[in-house]
Amino acid sequence: MISFGRRKSPAIEETSLATSVMEAWRLPLSPSIRGKLISAGYTCLSSIASVSSSDLARDANITEEEAFEILKLANQSCCNGSRSLINGAKNAWDMLHEEESLPRITTSCSDLDNILGGGISCRDVTEIGGVPGIGKTQIGIQLSVNVQIPRECGGLGGKAIYIDTEGSFMVERALQIAEACVEDMEEYTGYMHKHFQANQVQMKPEDILENIFYFRVCSYTEQIALVNHLEKFISENKDVKVVIVDSITFHFRQDYDDLAQRTRVLSEMALKFMKLAKKFSLAVVLLNQVTTKFSEGSFQLALALGDSWSHSCTNRVILYWNGDERYAYIDKSPSLPSASASYTVTSRGLRNSSSSSKRVKMM
Amino acid sequence: MQNGKIKPENLLRRSPTNRKLTTGCEILDGCLRGGISCDSLTEIVAESGCGKTQLCLQLSLCTQLPISHGGLNGSSLYLHSEFPFPFRRLHQLSHTFHQSNPSIYANYNDNPCDHVFVQNVHSVDHLFDIMPRIDGFVGNSKTRFPLKLIVLDSVAALFRSEFDNTPSDLKKRSSLFFKISGKLKQLASKFDLAIVITNQVTDLVETSDGLSGLRIGNLRYLYSSGRRVVPSLGLAWANCVNSRFFISRSDGSIVKDRSEKDENCSSSVSRSAKRRLDIVFSPYLPGSSCEFMITREGICAVQA
Repeated sequence: MISFGRRKSPAIEETSLATSVMEAWRLPLSPSIRGKLISAGYTCLSSIASVSSSDLARDANITEEEAFEILKLANQSCCNGSRSLINGAKNAWDMLHEEESLPRITTSCSDLDNILGGGISCRDVTEIGGVPGIGKTQIGIQLSVNVQIPRECGGLGGKAIYIDTEGSFMVERALQIAEACVEDMEEYTGYMHKHFQANQVQMKPEDILENIFYFRVCSYTEQIALVNHLEKFISENKDVKVVIVDSITFHFRQDYDDLAQRTRVLSEMALKFMKLAKKFSLAVVLLNQVTTKFSEGSFQLALALGDSWSHSCTNRVILYWNGDERYAYIDKSPSLPSASASYTVTSRGLRNSSSSSKRVKMM
Repeated sequence: MQNGKIKPENLLRRSPTNRKLTTGCEILDGCLRGGISCDSLTEIVAESGCGKTQLCLQLSLCTQLPISHGGLNGSSLYLHSEFPFPFRRLHQLSHTFHQSNPSIYANYNDNPCDHVFVQNVHSVDHLFDIMPRIDGFVGNSKTRFPLKLIVLDSVAALFRSEFDNTPSDLKKRSSLFFKISGKLKQLASKFDLAIVITNQVTDLVETSDGLSGLRIGNLRYLYSSGRRVVPSLGLAWANCVNSRFFISRSDGSIVKDRSEKDENCSSSVSRSAKRRLDIVFSPYLPGSSCEFMITREGICAVQA
């Protein structure tokens, strides 16, 4: 776990302290030591259990003996909860089966689903970046609708968290996409008519809107506070299967004087997203903006937030124009080959492009 | 997020459509699905003389319409960074507007110009000085027309001369883009305002890396007056707005059939250049376009 340096802006420090009281803090420690641990950024048992006593002593400004005692307590708590790091080891065969059984969230564009290995992967953090107007928000809305497709229709039957930092989420557009999704499901149900019971509950577009938890975030302080709060929120809403951040970038491109601190804040945020994805078996989708980067004597397009951010996502998808077609390219993934696919944005949402099917109205 | 509580908004409690501000022209409103969206940042890009200020003045007046007529039942704040402010044109449009909507003002003995607040902005720092006062102004307003529209005309002028072409200045400039946008979006979200920002264009200068003509949005190229142009302030600023509309100008004229009714102003009508509004990108509008012209009475679309 990356701990904060001593220089912190008051807003971030206040945020960290305020949200850390939500953690299940079970160790029997004195208040002063607990305060030191929290100030150093150690808010979870697992973060303590995975460091050495000397690191803990240095970070939290406590003695080696105190650090050793804390580690002993933390490890005991982990063992008691059957969450020992050593006991948690799995063999690769079990992991393979587990991964193959994980459902994926369809994008409603089969060409795009194909290069993604079936759709957006749960337990992963996926970054999607591109220029303005390429369709990032459309993909975000589509995923927050599609995650709710019932299991019997091949979906996850989950709910969505939509974190909007740019104000681009439009309810009318979400409703439009939801209505199209319901129509598609009804059509699908018609084909599979024999296999359904008579009392099958039909989804309505309003239900789909109700299952999107929408947060409008107007500053990076609010963004940090919300990300810190997500674990508690998802614990109380266990059906959540996708978290979409549209965009991860916007508030961090403002007047942020301390770039090193920005990197630390973003890294901690990314780590929290990874933990959420693994712990709750949900997909995290981070939308990112594009900027120009000067390297090797010329300007090139690059995703915003720089190289240190590149390591924060499991999968990276880049959206771009090729002529009059929108394309998606798998730029980084441990399990997917590099590939590209075309897609289009229609009044019904994301679909295959017109070159691979009948012409549809371009958004 | 209000009162410090972290709770999600209930999307069902929201209106199924964002409130829209009519442009005063039914055909243009049809293209924009009702008009300019509230709680959103809309940018209008055009070269000089294409009508973006005309459109903004018209929006400032239409804000005063009742909601049933596509207005916002509110007043507007016009932040202008280029001199002089076109007071004469505002009065001209206001006169027509007053005549078309007498019932709004009959019981109050006021006129449309009373509800258009004008403030000049001469630098980025000055704009940041004004922002907190806007917040106070909106929050404390007790008039019959609360503030519902903010126009910034134009954003490019604020950055024209203050910044050099050095990497550090470009970086600082870019962060100021996001800061301006962040604060305006916060106002829009907090008070459900419509915010319209105008931007200028520059001629496209082709560079070897091909980035200067980078495609953004629905149009592969932007042309106006026969030349290829790009919006000012580059890619960074394009990330700061929710929607981008592009107004272009063609050299053709619209010739109306001469008739007795049109006799008085036919000469001015026949000299109007044809304008066209394209939706470059928007989270809720398909790519489409609409042609219009500017008359004495304001902006009027041309039926294709």
